[in-house]
Parts: sequence; C-alpha cells; structure tokens
Amino acid sequence: MLKVEGLRAGYGAVNILWDIAFHVNDGEIVSILGSNGAGKTTMVRTITGMIRPSAGSVNFNGEELARHNSRYVLDKGIVQVPEGRQLFTEMTVLENLEMGAFNKQTREHFADNLRVVYQWFPKLEERARQAAGTLSGGEQQMVAVARALIGMPKLLILDEPSLGLAPNIVDDILNVASTLVRNDGISVLLVEQDITKALACADRGYVIENGHIALEGTAEELAANEHVKKAYLGI
Amino acid sequence: MSEKRKAVRTYHRNLAIMLGIMLLIFVCIPLFVKSPYIMNIFVLVFYMSTLSMAWNLLGGMTGQNSLGHAAYMGLGAYASCLLITKAGINPWFSAILGMVIVGLVAGIIFYPCFILRGPYFTLVSIAFGEALRQFIINSTFFGRASGVGLPFGRDSWLNFRFGSKIPYYYVGLAMLLLVYLLMKKIERSKMGYALRTIREDEDAAAAIGINPTRYKIMAVVVSAMVAALVGFFYASYIRYIDPELMILSKSTESVLPAVVGGAAFVEGPLVGGLIMIPLSEFLRAKYSSILPGINMLMYAVVLLVVIRFRPTGILGWYMHSRVKTFIDTKILLKPPVEVLEEVELAKMSGKE
Repeated sequence: MLKVEGLRAGYGAVNILWDIAFHVNDGEIVSILGSNGAGKTTMVRTITGMIRPSAGSVNFNGEELARHNSRYVLDKGIVQVPEGRQLFTEMTVLENLEMGAFNKQTREHFADNLRVVYQWFPKLEERARQAAGTLSGGEQQMVAVARALIGMPKLLILDEPSLGLAPNIVDDILNVASTLVRNDGISVLLVEQDITKALACADRGYVIENGHIALEGTAEELAANEHVKKAYLGI
Repeated sequence: MSEKRKAVRTYHRNLAIMLGIMLLIFVCIPLFVKSPYIMNIFVLVFYMSTLSMAWNLLGGMTGQNSLGHAAYMGLGAYASCLLITKAGINPWFSAILGMVIVGLVAGIIFYPCFILRGPYFTLVSIAFGEALRQFIINSTFFGRASGVGLPFGRDSWLNFRFGSKIPYYYVGLAMLLLVYLLMKKIERSKMGYALRTIREDEDAAAAIGINPTRYKIMAVVVSAMVAALVGFFYASYIRYIDPELMILSKSTESVLPAVVGGAAFVEGPLVGGLIMIPLSEFLRAKYSSILPGINMLMYAVVLLVVIRFRPTGILGWYMHSRVKTFIDTKILLKPPVEVLEEVELAKMSGKE
C-alpha cells in the first residue's frame, strides 16, 4: 500500500531524515518507534506533503506522492492525526469535524461519517457545540481522531497519540484503530514513543534513531530485541 | 421533522423582515435629513465601514493583521482617477479596471511574503504602503505630492458625478450592502472555513489538506480589490486625491471600526463604523474649536475603554447579552440551536 524509499528531508539547510525506507501493507498496523528528536514527526510531515523531501520516493498504491502538496496527499486517502492534536480550539467540536470533510469526495459522505464517529466516541456528540479548546486532553484527542476518520482515510497516520494522555484513553484510541483495521480494511501507521503500547497493537515496527531506520521486524521480534529492551524499555 | 423545519423557516423569515426594516430606515433617511453635513457623515460611515469590512476579511477572518489598507484604497483611487483623466475611460469601467489592477498588484507583492507569519506580515504591509506613497510623491506620472483632481461639471450618472450628496449616499449604501453580502457569502463558503482554520492554526490547516498560502492569497486579493473599490468611490466623492491618502494612520482608521464592532464578525465593521465615525465627527465639530486636539484625545479614550473592557468588540458583548436572548426568543422566535443544526444536517445529506 505505502512504500517509502530513500527518503531524505529536513528544514532549510538542516537535514533530519536520512534514507528512510519502510512499507505498510494493506490492512496492517505498522509502528514507527523512536525517542524525542529521532525524526518521527518530520517523517509524518514529509509523507503527508507538508515538507518537501530532498530525495526519495513515497509510493502510495502505485502512485508517487513525494513533492505533491498536503491537499493532494489527503485526496489520495492518507489522513493524519497530527502530533499534539492541533485542533481549531476556538471552533466548536462539530465545526472541527466538519473541517475533516474539506474536500469534495468526503463532504458528500459527511452526515453518514458523522454518525459513525459519534458511535465510536459518544462523548463528542454531547460536546458537539462546545469550543474544542474547552475539552479535556483525552476528548481533544478523540476529536482529532474523529476529524481524521471523517476524511475517510485508506491509511490513517497517528502521530504520537499517547502525548500527554492518561494510559486508558490511549488504549481506547488504539482499540478504535485496531477495530477499524480489522473491520474496514484501512491501514494504520502508528508513530509512537511509548514502545510497549505501540508494539502491543502493531503487526510490524521500525525503530528510527537520529533520522535513520535502525531496526525493523515484527512486533514480537522487536519486543524481544536486546537493543530495544535496553534503550527503550529499560530492562 | 416538518414541524422543526417550519420553525426554522419562520425564524429565517423573521430575520429577513428585521434586516429589511433596518435597510428601509437607511433608504428613507435622505427623505427626512436635509443637512448636507449629516449626509456627509453617512457617506463617510458607508465607505469607511466598507473599507473596514475589507480589512476584516484579512485581519478578522484570516488573522493576518494588515496595516496597508489605505495603500490599496489609495492605489485603487489613483488607478481609477488616472484611467479617467489620462485614458478617458468611463468612471464605472475604470472602477472595475482599478480593482483588477490593485488585486493583481496585491497578489504579486504578497505572494512571496506569505511564508512570513504574525508581526512580520504586518510589517511588510506597512512597508508596502509607505513605499507606494513615496513612489507616488516622486512620480510625475502620478502627479507627485500635488495629487490628481477629477473634473467637475454637470450631474451625470454616466460620469458618476453629482452636485448633491444624495446620489453618493445611495451608491455608498449599495456598495456597503454588496460588499456585506459578498463577505457573508465568503464566510459561509468553503473559503471562509479555510480562512478560519488558518487564523486558528496554520499547521493544523495544512495537516487536514488546506493549502494556507492559496487561501491567504485569495483573501488578500479580494480584500485589496474591495479596498480599491472604496478608493474609487472616495475619489469620485471628494474629486481630488493626493498621496496623503495612503498614510499609515489612514490604514489604522480602517482597522478601528472592525475592532470596536467585533473583528470576529462580518457585521463588526458595520456596527463599529456606525458608532465610531459619527462620534469622531461629533467630537471634532463640538470640541476642536474649544481646545485643538481635545477631540482626538476623547476619541482615544473611548477606544481604549472599548479595547480594555470589551476586547471582543461590541458584537462580542452582544452575542452573550440578555438583549440578544430577548430579541432571539421573543421577537425572532429563534428555535433552539439543536433544531437549527438538525435541519441543516438533514439538508446537507439531502434527506428529508
């Protein structure tokens, strides 16, 4: 489904990502792991067209997406839940969700998709008319996920859903993601610092260190790896 | 459902009636007010509020604080005046040409500047206005510091030239209405939503597939074109323009009605303009002869009080006031928000 090869990107003269390569198959949860500053968010921003890569390719279902803008990438079905949620805090929850259906294809299905995400997150229906900034952190993350789902993703990118949230809320959100993969056949790219949680729900994973892919393997292999244990799990 | 839809329809009808009555009052004012001085204040309110609405598209809706709107207005005034006097083009047509020219200039100048955020955008807009003013002062083609005059003569709709203030009053009112409807249309359109997300968080907007640069350019071009239209109106009304038109304090004057009225609302500049401009004129007429400058001081105090105690403007206060609750429920018979949304959603999905 998604195949990234030799991806290099950075900000101005500073290069952050060095020859990143990985792939995501249909109906798979792939986790990208790494500590702060490893380049995870830069990678998400590059794949979704917010940063132009200096080299490499991002192939999505046979189409080259590198060097296209974020709108184009979104239209193709890659939707992200950005790091730190990035809600429009002064707009209501409902308006935030409406913004998820900004392009034409998704707008036509908005009313149906809204009903679906309300089933996933019933809290949001209660809070529909409240300004998004007045919600708790967990509820805001739900809005961010719901906004992305309304964009009808084929590949959903979750950028650090655990950031600043209580563990049980993270579990809820990862549960929703797993169920979506199982029932609706979408794929998920889970970008996380919290390796235990990420490996618990992912099929495969890649470890990024200093902008390079340091390790890759199935979730079990990575969990058993000595380097991962020492550097990330503290055992 | 049908009952709810009926309630929503009644509400919309009542709203339309109320707005119609307000408009009728403004249409009838020239029938009763004969003083040219008062009429002049109304014309001033009309074009300054329109200019402020243009600013509000960029400053209020998109969150890009511009201090260059006097320059767009001035450039529009110069472009249309020179087209009339030098090229002999009909005023109505040169108004449109002037708008196109200013829209193009604004788009081209600001395209490379939109990677700048926050105060840097404001600084560029100030620099643009000042540079343009200096250029005109030193350009013989633009008439240097002595400005450009439009010919006087017999009243003529074709030449947009009138001896009495009444035609200007109605044209100004029509201009205000048209621009208001345009802004309302933009606010409710896809573009309006995109602009709001850009105001809130540009990165988040990009993350959900909105191209911030594209929408900001659209906003600046539309805003500059409306300002150019105001410039044409001003030039035709005063029949003389000079580079002082583009001075920075004029740009600030275009911001005030929006801020006082409530920059978050399309109606903000209208409310603000209707209050602040007559106030400014009243203070000048009443007090400037007693102690020169005292009128500006009083004006500043009023402004500071509004900003200190009502930072969201008059409409920001009104939206949460009991006055609004009373008008909504007792006069307009507004149904609850839930009902309005349900009907809206049903309409969106095309189901009854």
